[in-house]
Amino acid sequence: MKFKGKAWSMLMLLVIVAVVAAGCGSGNNNGGANAGTDGKGTKPAAGSKNGNNVVVGLNANFITLDPHNAGDTNSISGARSMYEGLMGFDENMSLKPVLAESYSISDDGLVYTIKLKQGVKFHDGTDFNSEAVKINIARIQDEKNNLRMRKSFAKVATVETPDANTVVITLSEPYNAFLNKLAMGLMISPAALEKYGEKIGQNPVGTGPFKFKEWVEGDRLVVEKNADYWQAGLPKVDSVTFKPVPENGSRTAMLKTGEADFIYPMPTEQVNLLETDKNIVIDKTDSTIVRYVTLNTMKKPFDDVKVRQAINYAIDKDAFIKVVKSGLGSALDSSMSSKTQYYSKQEGYGYDLEKAKQLLKEAGYPEGFSAEIWGENDSETMKGMQFLAQQLALAGIKLDVKSMEGATLSDQINSAKTPEEAKIQMWFVSWSPSSGDADGATRGLFSSEMFPPAGSNTAYYKNDNVDKWIAEANKSIDANNAKSIYADIQKQIWNDAPWAFLGVDQVISGKRSYLEGVKVYPDGSVNVREAEVKQ
Amino acid sequence: MGRYALQRLLGVIPLLFVVSVLVFMFIHLIPGDPARLVAGKDATLEEINGIREQLGLNDPLWRQYIDYMGNLFKGDLGNSIRSGLPVSEMLASRFMPTIWLTIFSMVWAVIIGVLIGIISAVKRNKWPDHVGMITAISGISVPGFWLGLVLIQVFSVQLGWFPTGGVDSWSSYVLPSLTLGAGIMSMLARFSRTSMLESMREDYIRTGRAKGLHEFVVVGRHALRNSLIQVVTVAGLQFGFLLGGSVMVETVFSIPGLGRLLVDSIAFRDYTVIQAELLLFATEFILINLVVDLLYGVLNPKIRFDSN
Repeated sequence: MKFKGKAWSMLMLLVIVAVVAAGCGSGNNNGGANAGTDGKGTKPAAGSKNGNNVVVGLNANFITLDPHNAGDTNSISGARSMYEGLMGFDENMSLKPVLAESYSISDDGLVYTIKLKQGVKFHDGTDFNSEAVKINIARIQDEKNNLRMRKSFAKVATVETPDANTVVITLSEPYNAFLNKLAMGLMISPAALEKYGEKIGQNPVGTGPFKFKEWVEGDRLVVEKNADYWQAGLPKVDSVTFKPVPENGSRTAMLKTGEADFIYPMPTEQVNLLETDKNIVIDKTDSTIVRYVTLNTMKKPFDDVKVRQAINYAIDKDAFIKVVKSGLGSALDSSMSSKTQYYSKQEGYGYDLEKAKQLLKEAGYPEGFSAEIWGENDSETMKGMQFLAQQLALAGIKLDVKSMEGATLSDQINSAKTPEEAKIQMWFVSWSPSSGDADGATRGLFSSEMFPPAGSNTAYYKNDNVDKWIAEANKSIDANNAKSIYADIQKQIWNDAPWAFLGVDQVISGKRSYLEGVKVYPDGSVNVREAEVKQ
Repeated sequence: MGRYALQRLLGVIPLLFVVSVLVFMFIHLIPGDPARLVAGKDATLEEINGIREQLGLNDPLWRQYIDYMGNLFKGDLGNSIRSGLPVSEMLASRFMPTIWLTIFSMVWAVIIGVLIGIISAVKRNKWPDHVGMITAISGISVPGFWLGLVLIQVFSVQLGWFPTGGVDSWSSYVLPSLTLGAGIMSMLARFSRTSMLESMREDYIRTGRAKGLHEFVVVGRHALRNSLIQVVTVAGLQFGFLLGGSVMVETVFSIPGLGRLLVDSIAFRDYTVIQAELLLFATEFILINLVVDLLYGVLNPKIRFDSN
């Protein structure tokens, strides 16, 4: 029996060793793990683990690779690695010709004559020419296809192709943001459209620096070098693999081990820790993403401009950036970010609690009031709302924080068919114009035609001048004229304060030090065109 | 037994029908408009209505249900509202990672869990029992999310033994299986210990020992077999849960499995994907229950299946 007893104990020891080894290991090594940026252990060497192939870790799945129907930033990043438009953006969201060689706009702003780059081929070997442009625009405009891009091309009346390298696009009315919209209309091979039909979203064929290799939904998108790319010297890497890695900690770990060469977004809470690692470089740049609270200007007490201004004075924006955004961002000083076209900086609304109280008194609320603030239920939004509740409480405004799941919240806002039915008082939210244009950052948010459910003017803001100016700016032919109109619009909105203006996000990415050329644009899309591995 | 199994299998059909009605009703009851979510926040009303029309969301609910079931009988699960991809393809690509993760987690959890349970029961109140039960309690108490991140930190970042995530190779499954199996291993250890202790008190164990049977035979053959029924029940249930995909483990380890797909689909009210996934889970659960019931008979021949 004695022997048997020992045998059982030995067996238990074995089992425990097998299972607990992991646990003990974590206990012993965990301390080192947090400080483990000093090159100890078997950490990857400075060179790339992936050779001349680049792995990019992103936070969410790709939804579609159909560039005319992509709405989420990641799908746009994926599409832009393979597709190009007549126009494109540089890293400051400024427009530049891509597949267009040059363009001219008629004096009445209606006719865009575009000369195309010659010798450009789609990945399937067919020629890129004016006919291809015509077919692409026709596809976007076709009501039956119901593509996301359609509204951007709604003002296109005709597309003519006088020769293979010239396209003449005539608009039904002048449209100042049209070049931005052209930058979003990426060119698909007509032969591939014919071949794949509706399945083009799974079989991309463009003119871009990378060709489609494979897309395993939820796991990875792999694009490989387009050896016949029209720009000599590009691309400099053999392939790019995009991987959705939703968990912040795991995405950071991938960068640390070198499994990923580039990650976006870089979790803000990890920035300080990784900045000391010599193998990792962190890039921060201002984005087009603005954060604000809409104040329902048709509901008491927000119908009084003094109340809305008081709220703007009562919020310490620098503290907001520090507390809610971990110090990574800047104060919002207009209705749009400095990276958006025709931005014009505004002054005022510095933190001044006394002035806020004074304004509330003048408006007839010397003791403050109570209101509801809505927002989504992710942790950062909830933190933001708690912060605002705390700040406004100092001015006597008691906020009841209501966080809701995204789709439910959207329903709450859009189920009101008229401003009178609307229950919304305050909404903590963000916005980013998808094509970086001032119209996209203004019309949907401040035009009185855009009250929910038609648009996102959740402040129910109505100012006849702003309405008139938005239309004028849209039709303006001269860029300087448009700029001055948008300056007026921003000034008026700033003074009317339909929002509590809060902050501008930074886009933060992390990369291994040997990687060059991968950039996150202010709209949050990742651009890999010039990616290069320096061994 | 064959007849019993067949009858049970046929019984699945009305059950699935009820499940399909309930699922359809509930997902349409939760607030949120898929068309608006798909169209994006800068969409025009016209665009949203176009999408709604295209998806048949303007039809009365009963009509939508009949259309859905009609397609289902033809083997067509429809296309995802959000991405337009065929749901059957999406489920197929998400199914395998979840299956592998489930199998790996269950295999080690069952073997180690039952072993700990046996040893703890045999060495009751001695140090192996204490160590075993401390391990089990730790396994249950440690949050999987935390365990996953710690395993990544140690075994991927520090030691570089395993990848941080993904499903590129078999080694990718090691850390997620450890994370996912830890709680189940612990639960099984506790269950098998209790159930072994009960069996060990039975008369036939005393008889066995009195006959002079080797202790390993007494424990392994007589006590263990009789206590396995409880273990099989618990393991079967857990297996069913795991097949539904673990959102937590799939998220931490970037595994493209069914759990993450379901959560993403719910956020976007992707009705077709949610419906298909829930029907799949219901089917899996029913089948596993059937297998568990049949296993009872194998473990204890006294249990008979009466098809009447």
